Amino acid sequence: MTHRVCSEEPDILVAAASGRALSASLAAHLASCPSCREQAEAVTFVRGLAETPDAPHQLPDPAVIWWKAQLLRRWQAERAASAPIERMRWIELAAGLASLAVFLVWQWRGLVNLVARAIPASVAAASAAPQAVSPMALVLVACGTASVGAMVLAALHKRLGRAPY
Amino acid sequence: MMEHAATLDVEDVGAQQAEAGARAELLGESEFQDLYRLHARPLWAYLYRLTGNTADADDLLQESFCRMLGAPLATRDDGQLRAYLFRVATNAATDLWRRGGRSRRREEPLTDESAGAAPGREDAALKQDMARTFRDLKPQERMLLWLAHVEGSEHREIAAALGLKAASVPVMLFRARRKLAGLLRKKGYGPGERP
Repeated sequence: MTHRVCSEEPDILVAAASGRALSASLAAHLASCPSCREQAEAVTFVRGLAETPDAPHQLPDPAVIWWKAQLLRRWQAERAASAPIERMRWIELAAGLASLAVFLVWQWRGLVNLVARAIPASVAAASAAPQAVSPMALVLVACGTASVGAMVLAALHKRLGRAPY
Repeated sequence: MMEHAATLDVEDVGAQQAEAGARAELLGESEFQDLYRLHARPLWAYLYRLTGNTADADDLLQESFCRMLGAPLATRDDGQLRAYLFRVATNAATDLWRRGGRSRRREEPLTDESAGAAPGREDAALKQDMARTFRDLKPQERMLLWLAHVEGSEHREIAAALGLKAASVPVMLFRARRKLAGLLRKKGYGPGERP
């Protein structure tokens, strides 16, 4: 949408904002230009509203604002100081999970065999292929390792996440 | 209040701060008290006209001064600090609207006192109606009109405060004024009818 401004509008708005009397030529233009008239009217209205005395309202106590600002500044400084620690916590968690994954991949067979030997013979006999790795052993290995790993990581995360103050 | 119009906008204050580096300092308590005495009332009036609610205006006033106190300032010029303060307040008010209606208080019903008129005076109703008409505008339109015509801010300052392009400010102001004039006409405040 094209915005066309009457050439006299800026002068009329300045006069309306300052409450200054219009020159004869501007007054003549204002009388003949509805757009300028409504623009000037709006400015006069806003100025009039601003000059209306405010309600007798007690402003907030500056001493309280000062105190609050000091407190906020201290909190922000503390947060800034602990930001690297906070970032490290996530890096530690990611590193822990990655190590766990590497360990599982690396020691998978050994862990499975270890658990398979620990399963009671009756349970192992129920398996269709006794020589093969039991599916239950796989589930147990995965769940056990994940639980232990998660518990260790959670404990570490909690311990490291404590505020240093 | 046009004399308060700052010649430098807030981005310039920020740029100055970057240049000033170590020279940028936090306000001291006595400086803050002086600044508060000078600017708190007009800032509150602006915030009250924006929010239509004394509690929100109080909260935003506190938040604006707190934000200002939390940042090192390279300048102590009253005009620049005033422009900075109004920008911070505008941002805080915008944040309040963005947070949504749930956390925001409702606009208070206008009374003679809240409209700024002494009860019983013959122009009390008119003043209430003026305040109500202004509330009929959108928040951004109120901000635009107040900053432009009460604070006397330049278009680039308004653009910086409202996060707009400087080129769109004159168009938006024009439309806001036209809308306001339309509302005034609808309420019967034609040029000949207004006091």
